[in-house]
Amino acid sequence: MGEYVLLCILFAPFLGALGLIFVSNRQPLLVRSIAVGSAFVSLIASIYLFYAYDPVKGGFQFIQKIEWSRQLGISLHLGVDGIGTPLVLASTILLFAGIFVSWHIKDRTKEFYIWLLILAAATIGVFMSLDLFFLYFFYEMSVIPMYLLLGMWGSHTKKYLEMTDPEGMKRRDSVGFIFNFGSNSKEYAAMKLVLFLSAFAVVALMGILLIYKYSGLNTFDILVLREHANLMNIPVLGTTLDKIIWILVFFGFASIAPLWPMHSWSPVGHAAAPAATSMLHAGVLMKLGHFSIIRVAFEILPETTREMMPIAAVLCMFSIIYGGFVAFYAKDTKYVIGYSSSSHMGYVFLGMAALNYISLSGAVIYMFAHAMATGMLFAMAGWVYDQTHTRDIPSLGGLSNKMPFISACFIVGCMASIGMPGTVNFIAEIMIIVGSWNKYPLQVIVAMLGIVLTLAYLFKMMRGLFYGPMNQKYGHAHDAISTVDRLPLLIMISVSIGFGIFPMHLYDVVRSGVDPLVVRITQVVPVAQSEGDADAQSGVSRSESMSTSPVIVNEVLATPLQISRGGSE
Amino acid sequence: MIFSLDLSLSDLLLLLPEILLTCWLCVVLIVDFVSPRLPKEQLAYLSVTGLVLTLGCLAWFDVNHISGALFGNMFVLDRMAIFFKVFVLGATILVILSSVEYVNRFALFRGEYYVLVVMSAIGMMFMASANDLLSVFVSLEFSTLGFYVLVSYLREDLASNEAGLKFFILGVFAAGLFAYGISLVYGETGQLVFSEMSSAQATPGLIIGFLLIFAALGFKLGAVPFHSWIPDTYHGAPTPVTAFLSIAPKGAALVILLRIFLVALASFKPVWVYLLVAVSIVSMTYGNIVAIAQRNIKRLLAYSGIAQIGTVLIGLAAGTKMGSDAILFYLLAYLFANIGAFAVVIAVSHAIGRDEIEDYRGLNRRSPFLAFAMLLFLLSLAGVPPLAGFIGKLYIFIAAIKEGLYTLITVGLINIVISMYYYLIVVKQMYINEPVDPSPIRISGPMKAVIYVGLAGTLVIGIYPQPFTDWVVEATLMFSDFVSPSATAVPSSIHGGG
Repeated sequence: MGEYVLLCILFAPFLGALGLIFVSNRQPLLVRSIAVGSAFVSLIASIYLFYAYDPVKGGFQFIQKIEWSRQLGISLHLGVDGIGTPLVLASTILLFAGIFVSWHIKDRTKEFYIWLLILAAATIGVFMSLDLFFLYFFYEMSVIPMYLLLGMWGSHTKKYLEMTDPEGMKRRDSVGFIFNFGSNSKEYAAMKLVLFLSAFAVVALMGILLIYKYSGLNTFDILVLREHANLMNIPVLGTTLDKIIWILVFFGFASIAPLWPMHSWSPVGHAAAPAATSMLHAGVLMKLGHFSIIRVAFEILPETTREMMPIAAVLCMFSIIYGGFVAFYAKDTKYVIGYSSSSHMGYVFLGMAALNYISLSGAVIYMFAHAMATGMLFAMAGWVYDQTHTRDIPSLGGLSNKMPFISACFIVGCMASIGMPGTVNFIAEIMIIVGSWNKYPLQVIVAMLGIVLTLAYLFKMMRGLFYGPMNQKYGHAHDAISTVDRLPLLIMISVSIGFGIFPMHLYDVVRSGVDPLVVRITQVVPVAQSEGDADAQSGVSRSESMSTSPVIVNEVLATPLQISRGGSE
Repeated sequence: MIFSLDLSLSDLLLLLPEILLTCWLCVVLIVDFVSPRLPKEQLAYLSVTGLVLTLGCLAWFDVNHISGALFGNMFVLDRMAIFFKVFVLGATILVILSSVEYVNRFALFRGEYYVLVVMSAIGMMFMASANDLLSVFVSLEFSTLGFYVLVSYLREDLASNEAGLKFFILGVFAAGLFAYGISLVYGETGQLVFSEMSSAQATPGLIIGFLLIFAALGFKLGAVPFHSWIPDTYHGAPTPVTAFLSIAPKGAALVILLRIFLVALASFKPVWVYLLVAVSIVSMTYGNIVAIAQRNIKRLLAYSGIAQIGTVLIGLAAGTKMGSDAILFYLLAYLFANIGAFAVVIAVSHAIGRDEIEDYRGLNRRSPFLAFAMLLFLLSLAGVPPLAGFIGKLYIFIAAIKEGLYTLITVGLINIVISMYYYLIVVKQMYINEPVDPSPIRISGPMKAVIYVGLAGTLVIGIYPQPFTDWVVEATLMFSDFVSPSATAVPSSIHGGG
């Protein structure tokens, strides 16, 4: 494989989707095996990528550059750094697991796998694009498969299904029904998702076009733009151009992340989607937002990022608290997990906003960790839905008798989501909290509260689903017994716990990507005054919080760069 | 102006495609006349053969870089003329193939149908080469003449008759405007050839004259405020004619607009850019918003076409060579997506007999191929990667942002989102809703061929655009003499709306 590994990871799912077009739905086994085969190739290649990535060398590796359009200055420029590598790995793991999770889909199996593979491939494409055009290309490409996956294989809310009287049936089928907010259908969710994401995507596209124009380099290449584009100090509309571009790019991409107040499409979309789609959606699609902000705003506009990132720090508090509370009161399994995801994405923004090595690495590791944890939860919510055909928590209960394996895995999923030590989420969370404490103590306190909330709503949901009295209506529900059903959960659990116990390689890889970025952002000009006093007053508390977690102290000390940075501050 | 009518044989060579096609047209007419028992499909294939031969001839011109001007510059054959001739011929071939089945609905004159289609195509080929106002006028009317008949071809159908009448009255009105505009322009400048007007002074007569000409061409394009005939005519006309009408005359009118704005009026760019910006914004917004309310797929595509023309005018408003490249590229993308979408409409209405959006319920169950094709065509029209329409839209936006047309681009981007909504409503009917009658839909051979060509074009241009961008860049090389490239690099402060 070697240097072509990125092409292999990216095009294996595309080729799988292409191959599936020529297979008939009457051979479901062949359809599934093609899907599994292409996802497996992609998975193996990305595991190779993850371990072949050299963190000592750092930078962008496995670069591929294929000229695509001379006139527009576009080339298919692929490459991964320490930030992209774990996310590519997470995408392929979730794709592989997602194919097994959706193993029992009977309706239009072939089409389902085609769209799922395209969705995953487009996501992977974003994580390895080094060209703004292709970043947007793959980003936008991932939206339409979501529409079809939600619309064709999704599920309605309870309230929608209860509209069975003739009047309700008529209203349900009218074209204008997708504007009915109260009792939303899967069509509503799908349309809302597409329109929201497209609307914000074109905002980001405007930012990208402005970068293209004002850099004057006639190229979309991120590596060229970040070295040569001079976008600073161009006065526009009473402010400077770089700020406008930053705002456009940040809010354009933050909508998919989803940052409060642009989150409302996300839980609705998660809830309506079939299990495998929710997994990919919450697991990796949402990370496109953070990743694209890092790739575009952080790389090309580092100085503006330092000035403007407090916006994210403010909004992420609302994300964490709002998502947490809604999740606590939601009665729908998938809404709980959906809002919990949108709440947890606030931690990533917090880590990004603090802009230092520890917190930003924590944010990137958290993206990886959250992909596994939320993937598990959605897979199991999907299993419960498949068995009982309801997502309504109050009507469920006592399922642990019927499905001991699922309920055991669910506990692990909850633990991972909360950030129990031993899972990779713990490492990520503690890094974000430790890293951001100096700069944003209030946000860290909010994040702590968020963890408590996570504990509350996940345990509440676990009790509602698996314990307590059992609804006899669901007596026929059964456990995941076959290997095919257990495999995806076991994969995600073992990845989550594996990296929780042996995080060093993941950490090194992420650090190798984060370090140069943070250096660019913090050291281009003299350190701003606002940073100085914040550091001085919180120096004590920082050392305290470090000593509370020996794991982190070791890791921090193991990295010489951090020591030198600490000294210079 | 000196007309030299002493044509040598090598001059006639430049007219070879038109001469060839006209002769072929006569042959088709005679064959139809002398053998009335011949199945009409054979006439379709005969016409297609002639069109393909003409395409081959044009390809030979393009490869050997044959170019020149005739009749005192009234008729030019440059790379752009060749591009648009190929464009029109391609559209004609696809339209004829998609009408093979549809023609059986006509009670009479099934053979003449093909003759009229090819005749309009010849008119549009002359439009592509027209380099002065008179030849534009003559060729424009020549091509429209065929359309007047074609639109009202369903003699028993009231809607078709209404469509024909509306189209005729407004078309004649537009022709009157055009003729009046020509007289004013000629009176002011004493010139009819585009390239010789570039030094004219901006007198009121000249401005009014060009406004009238723009209005007349706006009718052909269907840009707001000259769009009022579009929905009813598209709705009532036989669907293959609608497909033809939605693509070929627009291309032909655009080549004339390109020649007028980028050659004749190149020095007035700061003035006309406002006109184009206004028309473009109104067309995009009006077309997209009204399309949301449509229940009929042909009307939906009509309004979407109005919006698409608004997007194309962004490229014209950029007024640079790159802008014209983008227009040509966009038209290519639009050709495949639009004709493909209409081909699906024809196939579905052949099976169901109606073309309301409701009738597309569960098309995915009835014919996965048609539904998938329609999905890709609609998404390409909406501008979703990796389809051709996305690259086309992006090309236009890039050309426009280099000129600093921020307001226009902002409106264009918002409109992408609006258009996504109504295209997805059709997708929802096809994929998400369950069919009322699940019987499968049969597709005829020629129809399948058209849809495959549309799919191939939409996907190939989207995934590997390099050869097509090379082609359009070479096709518009002539504009680099008139539009100075240095002017494009400087951000203009006038249009910096933010």
